[in-house]
Amino acid sequence: MMKITQRAELPKGREWAIRAAAVLLSIVFAGTVIAALGFDPIKVFAQIVNGSVGSQMRLNQTILKAIPLTITSMGILVAFKMKFWNIGGEGQIMMGAMGATYAALHLPPDLPPTAMLAMLAAASVICGGAWAFIPAYFKAKFGTNETIFTLMMNYIAIKWVTYLQYDLWKDPGSLGFPRIAAFPPSAVLPKLFGIHVGWIVAVLSVVLVYIFVNHTKKGYEVTVIGESVETARYAGMNIKHVMIAAMLVSGGLCGLTGMVQASAVEKTLTYSLSANYGFTAIITTWLGRLSAPAVAIVCFAFAMLIQGGAYLQIALLIPASVAEMIQGIILFFVLGSEFFIQYRVSFSRRAARGVA
Amino acid sequence: MQDTAIQMSGITKSFGSLAANENVNLTVLNGEIHALLGENGAGKSTLMNMLSGIYSPDSGSIFINGKEVRFSSPKDSIALGIGMIHQHFKLIDVLTAKENIVIGQKGGFFTRGKNLTAKIKKLSDEYGLDVNPDKKVYDMPVGEKQALEIIKVLYRGARILILDEPTAVLTPQEIKKLFSIIRNMKEKGCAVVIITHKLGEVMEISDRITILRKGRSVGTVVTKEIEVPPLIEMMVGKKVDLSIKKSRVEGKEDLLALDEVTVLDSEKKQALKSVSFTLRSGEILGVAGVAKSGQKELCEAIAGLVPADKGRIFFNGENILGKSPGEIIKMGIRMGFIPEDRLGMGLVAGMDIVHNIILKDYQGQKGVFLKRGPCVKKAERIVDSLEILTPSVFTPVKKLSGGNIQKVLLGREIDSNPKVLITAYPVRGLDIGASYKIYDLLNEQKERGAGVLFVGEDLDVLMELCDRVMVLCDGRITGIVDPDTVTKEDIGLLMTGVAERRQA
Amino acid sequence: MKRILLLALALLTALSLAACGGNGGGQTGDDESFDGMIKVGFILIGSKTDGGFSQAHANGIDELEAYFGGLVKTMAVENVDDQNRQDIRSAAENMIDAGCTVIIGCSYGYMETMAELAEEYPDIYFLHFSGSMMNDTNFDNYFGAMEEPRYLAGIVAGMMTETNKVGYVAAYPYTEVQIGINAFALGVQSVNPGAVVNVVYINTWYDPEKEKSAAQALLAQGCDVLEQHCDTAGPIIAAQEAGAYAIGYNLDKPDSAPKAYLTAPVWDHGAYYIDVIKKILDGTFSPESYYGNMASGYVGLAPLSDLVPGDVKAKVEEVKARIMSGEFAPFSGEILYADGSVLCEDGQTLNRDQIWEINRVVKGVNATE
Repeated sequence: MMKITQRAELPKGREWAIRAAAVLLSIVFAGTVIAALGFDPIKVFAQIVNGSVGSQMRLNQTILKAIPLTITSMGILVAFKMKFWNIGGEGQIMMGAMGATYAALHLPPDLPPTAMLAMLAAASVICGGAWAFIPAYFKAKFGTNETIFTLMMNYIAIKWVTYLQYDLWKDPGSLGFPRIAAFPPSAVLPKLFGIHVGWIVAVLSVVLVYIFVNHTKKGYEVTVIGESVETARYAGMNIKHVMIAAMLVSGGLCGLTGMVQASAVEKTLTYSLSANYGFTAIITTWLGRLSAPAVAIVCFAFAMLIQGGAYLQIALLIPASVAEMIQGIILFFVLGSEFFIQYRVSFSRRAARGVA
Repeated sequence: MQDTAIQMSGITKSFGSLAANENVNLTVLNGEIHALLGENGAGKSTLMNMLSGIYSPDSGSIFINGKEVRFSSPKDSIALGIGMIHQHFKLIDVLTAKENIVIGQKGGFFTRGKNLTAKIKKLSDEYGLDVNPDKKVYDMPVGEKQALEIIKVLYRGARILILDEPTAVLTPQEIKKLFSIIRNMKEKGCAVVIITHKLGEVMEISDRITILRKGRSVGTVVTKEIEVPPLIEMMVGKKVDLSIKKSRVEGKEDLLALDEVTVLDSEKKQALKSVSFTLRSGEILGVAGVAKSGQKELCEAIAGLVPADKGRIFFNGENILGKSPGEIIKMGIRMGFIPEDRLGMGLVAGMDIVHNIILKDYQGQKGVFLKRGPCVKKAERIVDSLEILTPSVFTPVKKLSGGNIQKVLLGREIDSNPKVLITAYPVRGLDIGASYKIYDLLNEQKERGAGVLFVGEDLDVLMELCDRVMVLCDGRITGIVDPDTVTKEDIGLLMTGVAERRQA
Repeated sequence: MKRILLLALALLTALSLAACGGNGGGQTGDDESFDGMIKVGFILIGSKTDGGFSQAHANGIDELEAYFGGLVKTMAVENVDDQNRQDIRSAAENMIDAGCTVIIGCSYGYMETMAELAEEYPDIYFLHFSGSMMNDTNFDNYFGAMEEPRYLAGIVAGMMTETNKVGYVAAYPYTEVQIGINAFALGVQSVNPGAVVNVVYINTWYDPEKEKSAAQALLAQGCDVLEQHCDTAGPIIAAQEAGAYAIGYNLDKPDSAPKAYLTAPVWDHGAYYIDVIKKILDGTFSPESYYGNMASGYVGLAPLSDLVPGDVKAKVEEVKARIMSGEFAPFSGEILYADGSVLCEDGQTLNRDQIWEINRVVKGVNATE
């Protein structure tokens, strides 16, 4: 007979022991599976690390993967801090990218790059923010459920961009292949130290979100609302106002991810641009316990896992599916450990029925 | 002949590093009313939850009717004839009494019909329970709901009843009725355990008392052979002076006046019906009434948290009705509010003392950034002056004890020298020492010239502490009385709405 | 905050420990004692076992390795979305990092990314299947005259249809695809002037579900022979389930639906890969925009299955011989677009450039975008 009960707060040491155990277990378990598939588990794990940070080029790849994840996570963090479950990162990224693309294709291409990129960024923040404003407004005004609302808005955004790509904005010069024209060179983010400057955007977003949450009055209001709406009301906060403002920030940051990806990576808009960052960011934000620096570290660890996994295919000629499975196992255990931190599971013998 | 119904020996139960029960012993006989007495956090509920199968003990053994048992779920406990009546009823409002009784039982929902009604009737008659089997729960007064809960467990064959704080929601008259039911059960040979911290009731109803303190059993005494003061000493661990001083303040002026205020609840029912009264400086105005008589709405309407449907609220001559808390703060009105739900409304549980102090401070700050410095000093001052026990001002308030949490809240609210202080059940859940500290603080405020509205539940305290007592019944004021000139029973009658009286 | 830091550290340490324990100092596994001549990296849009497009390339990769007997080492990144430049670039750079000096990208959508990479890595050769971009030194594209076997497949379909409706599951309304549709339709009409070709675009190269459901839609329209320009065996399976015939694409694969499979226009990528790697190794490589045909063996029609009657076989053989000898080309003689405009005039034979200007379907084809 198994019983699950909520734990009282665990001492930090115990929490850590559980997490460490989870990581170890995931390695043992994944290792067993790898061995069963006929690969050398030690080599495989070595290659995950080696493949993510083992050379300058691989490290660059890891950073490239961490950039969109980090910016999006910062956006998600601001919403989650308020317990506004913004599952709409995907859609906000898409709409942000759309805004940036519109600007890139319609502004005079000979604008100085700085001005051009500033316009792109502004357009993406406005579009991403506007997309997030809709569910925020409905929640503030009518109390709609934001989880479902933001989730659905993702599909609307993705289908909309698909429509743009296949029809409305289809590049006539592409022999009928459905795609949108490429950005002019002035609308492409430049590189610094071998990586597009999106990394600076990511670092800045972490710093600014940290300051916003911890050192501004608005950030304080967001935190209080997240902890207890009743308390916020009691303290005289204008909850609707704060909720909408925070969602504008959240959606704006997700939108900025869209601009960075569209400008620096894709150099155009495609319907698969959001690449699930909006969803993955939910996991990273949660694992980072809504603390900006911690979330940034988790994002990097995540990017390592993705890049390391991708590298496995090349280094050890392991099929892509095996690499994905390893990622899945590690995630399963690490996320699973959060359950054991919050609940305890006890086993007891079935009760001996006494006198009835 | 009295044989042993429950025997719990050497029970230990820990949550993390906290030992909720440590080596607790309890023996309850058949045909006995046994009181479990202790302050909040003494481990009463934990112990009873182990008896009803919700928790299992880390060590120790439980014997029911002489046989050792090991519960893995409440089902096992029910099967052995143990029934627990929780403080918060577990009934389904839209179903009838009958349906509530059979729900979750083996067998069909419709198959029993008349049979069932007859069985319920028989149980009601036997124990003097007043329940109409076909009445919907939402039509029932609190007393009847409780009686239904009791029938529910009796119907399931319970011979051992555990009642968790059963009198908290009842009027004095309903309490009397409950006690006679409990005595009936005793006559029929049931074992009854009653959990409470109200000493008067313990002395009145129980045969024996087991006292818990800080998770340990201090001892079991025969009620007839003990007086109240030694009982308190066992409970608190030291001698306590149990008198509340009541000083008279001269030169009162009107601070807050409510004029025909009507408030609707979430279901558009009138929770407060045309309420008019005046709160003066230098007085504590008590508010008595059974639970949910409109106390919450009264406090929140004054604080601007719920919109009033009709009426006016004057603060120093200015109508503040319809203003949000933010607007009230901006008007410069100095009003303190200790809400009923301290951690859910008055404080942010996960934040530290400093950030809870900031809550009432930050709106006055200029600029975009949050200034913590002055609030750290203020927090330290409040911790010092109210003797709040905390590792530091940076400890999350949820980690503090109930009394210290309340002191943080009260400390913040009185720090701005409010003219009006609204307090809703400020001592609920606090131990005796902490309660008296709170009474002292409220008296200080009154002597300073503030007007204090004190919503309370213990009539003895209300009568000792307050200058006037206002009684609410079903959202109406049924009387405002001078506690020095009336009896507890008089107030009880006003609480049920049988009588009305205006004076003072 | 601190916890997460520790978590990340714990993860890192655990992994690094594994790394160090592994092979003394974290030497990359791929470098182990390879003393061959060259490493070639492939980027595939699907999996090597997709039963179609990517598998055809995978067969070519196997042929390449077998030919050089260990002197050429290959690696491949599968399932690389051609709409996601981040993934394309990552796959290429990871393989370059692992020592590849030739990167072969096997989907049209990889083109711009490969062009960028070719500029950034002038020492690496980039070969792109089906693209139109190239440079003078290290970036080339390769493709084949798939219109030739498509035309032959059209003959098979045209002779075998009884409803005179032939279905075609197509990826995008894009030139490469429209060349195939038109060649096929001309083949159908050459033997059965009354037959029509119905086309459904699925707007993706690779999606087993979509491919199958598009095929079912065509079958519901009354088509009794299907042809496809997408990557998996979905349409063939759908045809077998409906008791119809189907012609595959990419590689000869009769076993997935033996009761429906007639033949398939196929690629022999191995021939090109062996040839181009030889040139790179002996230093004679220069970008040429390779365009193989049936005569060179790069494209062809898979052997006709037993379901195909003898007279059809004979007809196919006859036309095939004429194409291979250069006597006949699918896009020759008077050809009209569906809108009535002229694609090819009487007496004219379209050359490669003219063929790659096709941007709509010919008469007798019903295509809805």
